[in-house]
Amino acid sequence: MLSMLEEVVLLAVDEKSGGLRSTREFATAYALVGAVFFDLALARKIDTDTESIRVIDTTPTGNATLDRVLADVAQRTDLKTVKEWIEELFHRKDDLEGEALRSLIAQGILRHEKSKLLWIIDVERFPLVDNKPQQHVKLRLANAILSDEIPTTRDIMLVSLAEPCGLLHYVLGESELASRRPRIQMLCQMETISRKVTDAIVALEAALRSAMTKVV
Amino acid sequence: MIMMTEEKRSDWFVVGARGRADAEAADELESGLRRAVESSAKVAVDFSALSYISSAGLRAVIQAARAAQAAKVEFVICSLTQPVQKVFDMSGLHQILHVRGELPC
Repeated sequence: MLSMLEEVVLLAVDEKSGGLRSTREFATAYALVGAVFFDLALARKIDTDTESIRVIDTTPTGNATLDRVLADVAQRTDLKTVKEWIEELFHRKDDLEGEALRSLIAQGILRHEKSKLLWIIDVERFPLVDNKPQQHVKLRLANAILSDEIPTTRDIMLVSLAEPCGLLHYVLGESELASRRPRIQMLCQMETISRKVTDAIVALEAALRSAMTKVV
Repeated sequence: MIMMTEEKRSDWFVVGARGRADAEAADELESGLRRAVESSAKVAVDFSALSYISSAGLRAVIQAARAAQAAKVEFVICSLTQPVQKVFDMSGLHQILHVRGELPC
């Protein structure tokens, strides 16, 4: 089974070009951090409530990315809230994305291609070798959104990570998304981690807008 | 720590949870709720003595409610204490779960 982090990164791969699509780059960075915390929660290593984050088991998961973050969370006693940890890990977005891509390549799902654009600019692509895992992720997202049934906790987490990065647009059409907007918003509210991810994105976007206004 | 109780009242299977529904207690909570779902067509969950619920506890409730939905079992969550009610309100769980003020039996 893929980790939540791998599923989010896989969803961001354009199935035609192999490029990594990010409609809202900062949002994607926050979503990757959220995915790591969801992975740790699913592995029963951490627990959260409306504000705080608590380590309940420090034994390694076997996943290098998760174990590094778990060790950090266990050692740093100055950071106690989900919000503080999301901000702390935000700056490691490239590490998280790179490690997930390497893992997906090692599992035979993606391959790595490097080329030059106009003979100068390096371009990296990650074409799908096996498209079934990505299709499976998309199908789960579509089912969770279009159905009125109670989704699995993994699918609730997946919707709540894909939505703030704008990745749901690659799964369902505009009219379907518009008609299911209340359901999407409801699923995004269910988990503390995703609520804090959304709060962080909203705060950052507000700060960026404010900075842009001052520049203009 | 969580203490689970089970009681049959008319055609309802009442499951009570006392204490804290956190990561340590989530498995016990989920298995208690699932056992009730497998035993009766009507399950009422009494949270009147539950003082705390974390994300792991909420996931246990969601998974049990999902099992109830699949088995077409009526599954209601009742008598939330104030701190637990606050968590349910924030997470919007009342939109997909049947939550009511008092036990139905």
